[in-house]
Amino acid sequence: MSIELTQPQVMLHQMVTDFADKKVKPIDMLIDKERDFPEELWKDIVNTGFLGLSLPEEYGGAGFDAIASSQTIYDLAVRNASIAFTLEGHYKTVDQVLKYATPELKEKYLPQATHRIFGFSSTEPQGGSNVMGHTANAVKEGDKWVLNGNKTMITNGGLAEVYCVLLKTSPNELSCFLVDEDMPGFKHGKREEFIGMNGTPVGEIFLENVMVSEDHLLGKIGQGVEIGDNAHYDARILMGAIAAGITEHALTIAVNYAKQREAIDTPIIQLHSIQTKITEIAIAKENVQLLYQEAAKLKVAGKSYAKVATMAKSYGGRASVTAADHALQVLGGYGYSREYPVEHLIRDARALQIAEGSLEKMMIEISKEVVNEREE
Amino acid sequence: MSLKIVVCIKQVPVSNNLKIDPITKNLIRSGEQGIMNPYDKNAIEAALRLKDEWGGEIILLSMGPQDFEITLREGLAMGCDGAVLLSSRQFGGADTLATGYVLSQAIKKIGNVDLVLFGRQSVDADTSQVGPIVSEFLNWPQVTFVSELHSHSGKTITATRLLENMQQKIEFQLPAVITVRREMNEPRYPTPRNIQQSYKKDIQVWDENNLSVDPDRIGVKGSPTIVRSVWAPEKEAKSTKYLNGSADEAIRELLIELNANNLL
Amino acid sequence: MTDQEIWIYAEKHVGIIQPVTYQLITKAKEIADDKKVVVILFEATDKNLENNIMEYGPDEIIVVKDDRLKDATDSEIANLMAELTKRRQPNSILFGATVVGRSIAPRLQAKLGTGLTSDCLNLAFDDDFLIQTKPSYGDNIMCEIICPDHRPQMASVRPNTFAAKKISNTTTIVTEVNDLMFKEAERVKIIEETPLLSKSDSIANADRVIALGRGASDDKVISLAEELARKLGAKIGVTRPLTDHSKFSGEDQIGQSGNTVTPKLLINVGIHGAVQYTTGIEKSELIISINKDPKAPIFKYSDFSYVGDSKDFLEGFLKVIQ
Repeated sequence: MSIELTQPQVMLHQMVTDFADKKVKPIDMLIDKERDFPEELWKDIVNTGFLGLSLPEEYGGAGFDAIASSQTIYDLAVRNASIAFTLEGHYKTVDQVLKYATPELKEKYLPQATHRIFGFSSTEPQGGSNVMGHTANAVKEGDKWVLNGNKTMITNGGLAEVYCVLLKTSPNELSCFLVDEDMPGFKHGKREEFIGMNGTPVGEIFLENVMVSEDHLLGKIGQGVEIGDNAHYDARILMGAIAAGITEHALTIAVNYAKQREAIDTPIIQLHSIQTKITEIAIAKENVQLLYQEAAKLKVAGKSYAKVATMAKSYGGRASVTAADHALQVLGGYGYSREYPVEHLIRDARALQIAEGSLEKMMIEISKEVVNEREE
Repeated sequence: MSLKIVVCIKQVPVSNNLKIDPITKNLIRSGEQGIMNPYDKNAIEAALRLKDEWGGEIILLSMGPQDFEITLREGLAMGCDGAVLLSSRQFGGADTLATGYVLSQAIKKIGNVDLVLFGRQSVDADTSQVGPIVSEFLNWPQVTFVSELHSHSGKTITATRLLENMQQKIEFQLPAVITVRREMNEPRYPTPRNIQQSYKKDIQVWDENNLSVDPDRIGVKGSPTIVRSVWAPEKEAKSTKYLNGSADEAIRELLIELNANNLL
Repeated sequence: MTDQEIWIYAEKHVGIIQPVTYQLITKAKEIADDKKVVVILFEATDKNLENNIMEYGPDEIIVVKDDRLKDATDSEIANLMAELTKRRQPNSILFGATVVGRSIAPRLQAKLGTGLTSDCLNLAFDDDFLIQTKPSYGDNIMCEIICPDHRPQMASVRPNTFAAKKISNTTTIVTEVNDLMFKEAERVKIIEETPLLSKSDSIANADRVIALGRGASDDKVISLAEELARKLGAKIGVTRPLTDHSKFSGEDQIGQSGNTVTPKLLINVGIHGAVQYTTGIEKSELIISINKDPKAPIFKYSDFSYVGDSKDFLEGFLKVIQ
């Protein structure tokens, strides 16, 4: 581990590890199978204060920094990636409200972030990140904004109660608004039938003449793309932590199995071909972990972290799939079985190349950044 | 009504897998940080629930070296209000009697305490003596190995005490000393917010000068018992017979043996 | 100097002397040399439990009869013990390391200002010194403890550590003491006692035990084990992790901080064999263990070992004994 945790961070890490071992680890496969978090777990997550982890203390949170939040996401993801994914969606949204909302809006909504899930919504059925394709919009009427449209593929859609939504305020500009599910005209839509991260719902919302006051605008008019990008960067540190967590999970399963399973009276861990796979998984895990931890350190130090965070997610997204695939191979027939936890690791890990910016989009971003660095 | 509760806690080694130095015959203590004695978490949880119900204040009390601070902070992070660490070279080497004496003097100094809670025993020394010793020194009622608590109006509490083959319902009035079984509750986790706040709280550190203690009753001097020697017990391995083949084959082989020994 | 005495506190639950008391009498007689073995019995006026105790042949039984002793609290008993101790100055006082023993003994210890060693696994005398062997750190370490300068020397002993032996033709003297001051405890009273028909007592005394560990936490395996237990007339015990299962509690636990079992037949299912567990089964006669892990330490304690699946084994077993 390349990071030094402070004393409160060590205690947090111990608490999260205990919690996750006791409450999450035993139901990892159940969460995948039931496509939901048991209510009991959800209650424990909320009551133990996980939602307010990075929220400043003045709003009732714990005020932990990105090093601590990414460590927490990692510790959870080692036991179940989906619960980590749900918290990731919440944390990055809360971060944007904290950064861009007016003091009044923060005063009103941030204390709720300790017990209500926040979700970030940008994608539309007709277009991903392409602003031109978007139709959902916000129109100013007097001192109110009237919001209309349909948004999809929202992490925690349906589970979240408060949303940051990117809406068109003119043909070429997006702005970000905070919307509450309690507002008249707000409706949840269907949940996507995804192949992995099964505890986390990904769903859609409908806005039908939802009226919000002016202070529900985050940042300035037209700042939506920037806020969306910023949310991605914050998310990618945590997505890197999820990738490292899945990879560690795969490593543990593979090692335990290889030590125990014998072929011709020898544990298969002594076979070179198995050792190679385990080594590959271990190297991948270390690499992903170093990347997301570096990004977290940069963020805590107030430096630019977008590039490294994006590297953590783009590398981690692929490495974790490969790692889980190696683990599957080590377990052979059991790895391919639904009764063993490896196959769902592949399905879970596969999400990381798509959510919070596709692999392709990230590649473009990293290459641009790399080229820019060399032109300066 | 509000309660002033003291919870006595102890820091224990992370693992009980200790080794003995073959030459000095002393315990080799790993450099690893200790953890809170698991039963003490049940005692803290019991205190927190009483506080939730009746209001009041919970003070953690521990005796040991400075690094016990980490365990007291964990207790604060679970939601306790204050912490006192009894730490001094003079307290070192104390057995249960000397420990119980110093704790009881500290409880007297804290003052106006309604209830003192202990975990049923520590997982390292496994004595379960200190709770009753403290209640004797305070001359308070004790209810040990409690699995349930119901507080009524005023300062009357009904406890269920689990014995090996019976249970007792015991009614008592405060102030009193209780030792808590694991069955009593599921301890809450420290919340992230409380973890942060626990590091902003002061832990009071008291030594023999802060307490009114008889110097002959503390530390090694105040301890009647002496550890003459320690060793790691050698377990003789049985010569086990492995049953081979499928489960069915193994069982057939086993049954022959069991029948031969008249065990079925 | 008067004859030296080893005292044993007679523990009774709902009117029955607990086996540990008899075990202590037998052990005390074995190590006493010329010391007298004296049992201290507190009972209600309508009881004559001294008759049961006599069968184990202590030199003397001191009986205190008082109806308030039916449900006396820890501190009341500790007070009476302290008074008696002051009168006769015993060399040592022994208790069972039971809930009651572990509650009264330290209270008495504090009153007398002497040493007490809890949960001993062996006792011996070296002249007048009681050598007390006590496990520590979850039975990973043994300590030999003495109390050189204070009397009485006090110890509590883990139940089922020693075997009890009845003696024929005993010459036990029964001494009734009826001039003790019964100081009624203020602010605490036992309002109800209910025998637990369950489990823990029966595991500790069961002849056949099926023990389940982490590797047998699957509901299917548990129900198979229950069925087999019914068929064999065995009791189910568990390791610590399974006490969190809704079907079990700490009362069913075997091992350190649980029960010590002494069955004729013990079947360990899915138990890895940490020291904390194995100290609780050492006195079993025949041990069979089933575990997936060929390196599980449990096999070192077993007479018969099967490396394989618990479910298959239990199903196979049930099939055969149908």
